[in-house]
This record gives sequence, C-alpha cells and structure tokens, in this order.
Amino acid sequence: MKLDPSFIWTALVQILSAIPTTLYITVVSVLIGFVIGVAVALIRLYRVPLLHPLAVGYVTFIRGTPMLTHLLLIYFGLPVLIDGLAVHFGWSFRSVSIPMIGFAYISFSITAGAYMSEVVRSGLLAVDRGQLEAAHSIGMTTPQALKRIVFPQALAASLPNLSNSVIGMLHGSTLAFTVSVVDINAKAQIVASTNWKFFEAYLAAALIFWALTFLIERVTSVIEKRINLYNRGGVA
Amino acid sequence: MGAQFDISFVFSFLPKLLGTLSTTLLIVACSLLTGIIVGFLVALPRLYKVPVLKTLSEIYISFFRGTPILIQLFLFYYGLPEIMKLVHVDMTRTPVLVFVILTYGLHTGAYMSEMIRASVMAVDKGQVEAAYAAGMTGFQAFTRIVLPQALGIAVPVFSNLIIALLKDTSLAFTLGVMEMSGKAQTLGSLTQHFIETYIALALIYLVISFTIEKLLLVAEHHLLRHEKRNTPEKKLFKINKSWSYRRIIAELGPGKGGTGL
Repeated sequence: MKLDPSFIWTALVQILSAIPTTLYITVVSVLIGFVIGVAVALIRLYRVPLLHPLAVGYVTFIRGTPMLTHLLLIYFGLPVLIDGLAVHFGWSFRSVSIPMIGFAYISFSITAGAYMSEVVRSGLLAVDRGQLEAAHSIGMTTPQALKRIVFPQALAASLPNLSNSVIGMLHGSTLAFTVSVVDINAKAQIVASTNWKFFEAYLAAALIFWALTFLIERVTSVIEKRINLYNRGGVA
Repeated sequence: MGAQFDISFVFSFLPKLLGTLSTTLLIVACSLLTGIIVGFLVALPRLYKVPVLKTLSEIYISFFRGTPILIQLFLFYYGLPEIMKLVHVDMTRTPVLVFVILTYGLHTGAYMSEMIRASVMAVDKGQVEAAYAAGMTGFQAFTRIVLPQALGIAVPVFSNLIIALLKDTSLAFTLGVMEMSGKAQTLGSLTQHFIETYIALALIYLVISFTIEKLLLVAEHHLLRHEKRNTPEKKLFKINKSWSYRRIIAELGPGKGGTGL
C-alpha cells in the first residue's frame, strides 16, 4: 500500500455523488429540529404545566447521550412500536415500508430538536424584555409580538449558534452509515474498500466536509451582516 | 426485528456494559489530557500573535472543527501508518487505542484552544496592565492574574467539551475498540435484544454526563467565588431565574459546534 495522490482526485469525484444524501439528511434534520426546538423552547420559557418537565427531560436525555444511541434506538425501537400499533389497530402500514433514510431523518430530527431548543432559548433570552412590553403596549397580541418583534431579533442573536448547530448536524450525518444510508462517509468507505486505498478516500471525504463547513460559515457571516443591518446604531 | 421487548434485560445488561466503562473513561481521560496540552500549545501563538505559527494553528483548528470526528478517526487510523512509513517508523503493531486517543486528543485540542483563547480574551486587559504596574513579569501576570480568572470563565465550556468528548467516544467502535458502544452492539447481536441494550447504554451515558456537569458546576462556583455579583440584572425576555445569562451564553459560545454527536 503506497500513497497515491492522484487517487485523492478520483475518490473526490466519486464521493461527490453522495453529497446530496448528506445534505438532505442535514437540511431535513435541521428544519424539523428547528420546529421542535422552537416548540420546546417556548414550553420551557413559559413553563407550560405538564409539558415543561417533559421538555426538560427530553433536552436533558438527548444532550446527555450520544447521537449514535438515538439513531440505534430509533432504528430498532420504532419498527417494534409501529408494528405493535399496526397490529393493534389493524393498519396495513408496516415498518418495513419505511426507507432506511427515514430512520436517519427521524432520529437526527429528534437530536437536532434538543440542541436547537437550547439555541432558540438563548436567542429569546437575549432579547430585551422591554421589546415585548413595548409591543404589548401598542396593542399587539403575544403571538403577534413574538412573531414580529421578538423572533426576528432572537434570530439575529442566535445566528452564530444556529450555524454551529447546522455544522454539528452536517458532521453528525456521517453516522447514517450505521443504518446503511450511503452518505459521504459511507461512499468514502465503499470507494476505499473497493480500491484498497483507505487514506486517500478518507482524505477526499475530509476535504469535502471541510469545504461544506467553510461554505456554511461563509453563508452565515453574509446573512449575519444582512440581518444585523437594523442594529448598526447611530442616528442615520 | 430481534426478540420480544423485555425490560428486565435492561437491568441485566447494565453491569455487562459497565464492565467496559473503564475503556471509555480511559479514552476520555487520555484524550482530554492530550487535548489540554495541544490546546494550550495551539492557543498561545494566537494569543500572542506569533506570525507563522498563528496561521498554522488556525489551519489546524479549522480542519479539526471543519470535518466530522468519524472521518478523522478513519483518516488517522489508515493515514498515520502510511505517513510514518515515509519516515521509516513501523506502526503496524501499534494498538488501535493509541490511534483513537490521538485522534480524540487532537480533535478536542482544537476546541480546547478555542476555549482557552476565548476565556483568556474575556479577562479584562486592565488586569494585566495592573499586574505589570505592580511589577510582575509577563509570566507571573499570566499565571497569577489571568489564569485563575480565565479558569472560572472556561468551566462551563470545558464541561460541555468533556461531555461532547464522552459522547464522541461512542464512535470508537468503528475501529473495533471494545468500549461501551462496541460492547452494546455485540451484546445486542448476541441476544437479539437490541432495544434493551441501547436503552441501558443511553442510561449509562446519561448518568455520566449528568455527573460531570454537576461536578463542574461545583468547580465553577468555587472558582468564581471572588467574583462580585455586580452585573446589573438584565431584564431579559422571561429569563429563567435559576440560570445566569453568562452561563447560557458560555455554554453555546465557542463550545462544540452545537451538537456533540
């Protein structure tokens, strides 16, 4: 086995075909995770009875255990649950018809939800309470005030953390190989073992991830500049 | 898939998994040590703005924060022997654990250096100037004035990093290391009770990360005991009283990119 620099390029081209899968997993888990995160954050901020302890338990559990265990628990647990319910209620739907990537979507969304809820919570906490009070005083209802006044500011405040979470999920999506989804990592494994050139293949995969991460960071900084326009201070 | 769910298996699996806890903790402890040393070495050029070394450490941090730990594990496991072969060092007999610890060490080192940099920069510059005015040397000012204050600031991030590292070690099974996750997989395939094994596994991880968090919270209170609580109470949007704002920000700040896998 000898280092073959030209193979890095060959591997890179082959692995490129797996980028969409990785991006699908990342985007889906981040979007669903964001929705879960907003719901959980609001439940925790407003201390909704009954739901509040559940939300705290959810966030603690997810943040205290590796993403791998979530994936494996969903992968092995969900079919049992669904099939049990299906038999009980007489549905024709069976867990076999869930595609492999579905498990990745579900599990990573649940993972992302817990991390996103912390991001959203810190963003909401960063907004001055007077903003909400001012919105109330000019006659907005709380949902209106949240939507028009608090959320835009919270979004600006939590953008760096949000981008960190997206990067985290991008990197976390490499775990999808455990449920036989061919993402960048799995593709690198395939390319590596068919050509017996492990180092080169993983180097190519690392370069792709590095580039994707860099891209996310760039895009975030552009959005951050755009979103913070109103925040520039001064009189003009 | 698998056998009928039986909660009693969770309890019978717990001791079996705990048997491999030492391997997990060994990986965590060794890579933490490596990470702190590397983190310091990498943070110093950036703090003191040493020309060429600064760029190098930026590239190092960017690479280790920009690629998934799983890819890094494979990269080191397959790549390091080949690179070492170029300088005629034979690594074929090196135990896998060494590669794992090295990779996790370098990975954490990147985050550690960010943590160290951020917490040192958070110490007021006037403190250093006052130390110089009192006649201390640069080294004295750093060890006696900046470090104790920076430590307190760093603790929340540090605790997050340890927990992230603990959770990351669950990936070491991909290289065939028999730590808790690896053990759980073998137990699962042996008994076909996958769900129960993974519940037991999750419980153990949960307890350890909870313990680490609580212990470091105590450490933080101890380290910050000299801080006057003179920060004006921020009237924030429905702030959760039990948490100080600084802590939440610190937890999410330069820590692990949101998700620690």
